Amino acid sequence: MKTGEGWEEVVFNSRDPVYLQVVRHFMEMIVTGRLEAGQAIPSRRELGALLKINPNTAQRSYKEMEERKLIVTEGNSPSRITRDEAVLRTIRSELLGEAVDAFVASVRKIDVPVEELLELVKARYTQAAGEPAGSTPSEKGGGRP
Amino acid sequence: MIELIGVRKRYRRKLVLDGVSFSAEKGNITCLVGLNGAGKSTLLKAIMGLTPIHSGRILIDGKSPDISTYEKVAFIADHLTMPPAMKLSEGLRFMADFYESWSAERAEELMRFFKLERGERIGNLSKGTAAKFNLVLGLAQEADYVLMDEPFSGIDLLSREMIADVFSSHLIEDRGVLLTTHEIADMEQLIDRAVILLNGKVAAAFDCEQKRSEEGKSIVDVMREVYLS
Repeated sequence: MKTGEGWEEVVFNSRDPVYLQVVRHFMEMIVTGRLEAGQAIPSRRELGALLKINPNTAQRSYKEMEERKLIVTEGNSPSRITRDEAVLRTIRSELLGEAVDAFVASVRKIDVPVEELLELVKARYTQAAGEPAGSTPSEKGGGRP
Repeated sequence: MIELIGVRKRYRRKLVLDGVSFSAEKGNITCLVGLNGAGKSTLLKAIMGLTPIHSGRILIDGKSPDISTYEKVAFIADHLTMPPAMKLSEGLRFMADFYESWSAERAEELMRFFKLERGERIGNLSKGTAAKFNLVLGLAQEADYVLMDEPFSGIDLLSREMIADVFSSHLIEDRGVLLTTHEIADMEQLIDRAVILLNGKVAAAFDCEQKRSEEGKSIVDVMREVYLS
């Protein structure tokens, strides 16, 4: 699995505001433990260069994160990830909620009883938990003609 | 701020610019988007006073362009304009003699950034390397504004990425950049404002982040709307 700081793999889509995509990336890094509570984050200029975005956009993401209290900036020291437990919990539930919503939205098109769906999710989830993240799902499910 | 107010220009009978008005601000990257022949390059030349306009006004920080404009606005044309027999180091010296705003320190930094060899002859550079050197010559001037004509055109992927990296670095920060490109996809996250030219007129001018957040449209989406309607 790839280690490192997790900045290089960001792929932006061109239809959502870039600054919100940056905020989201921070949230994901916080939830996955790649950014820890209280950890110092790159300056706005460094972030612009790391993510290859316009410095104005980097600035705007930081403003947004400050408003959402995801990061705190005191005086001249670098901005840091918040230590506020309540905020950190909210980030986790927000990301989880969004992921589940997306899943539900795509599964709803297929008419399936919720019990069957839950069984399937449980089985797949347990299986995935035993494998390193990011690997492709096994081919067990693939039927042969 | 660079302001264009109702700029018109004809080449013989053909109206190339037909009442173009828009502005490019300091600290922003503004991109002129348009198909070939839309008048993008002509506009940049007009701002630099390299081609006359027939009516309308061009203002740089509220004043009409004059001789001092060349210290304030750097122009990076779509090809290198240096004599091919010169070595890169001689090209740099030429610029240093010519421009008061030249910064040797910046030039050095840019040469390192693009990994250019000072001893090479300009005429022997590959297209991508020539484009990089062209950027060195333009960006090493401590000008408030930089105009770039097609900095990505005909250049390989890795060189393009390298050039794009310049846009998110301090080498650009705080300046006003006005560039033309038809390879907009590489630049989507880097641009603050887009100005779409069609038949010598401004068909759309918008803040890119605002367009994305209010309408969920990329620059390419807006281009399609403009060109296919």
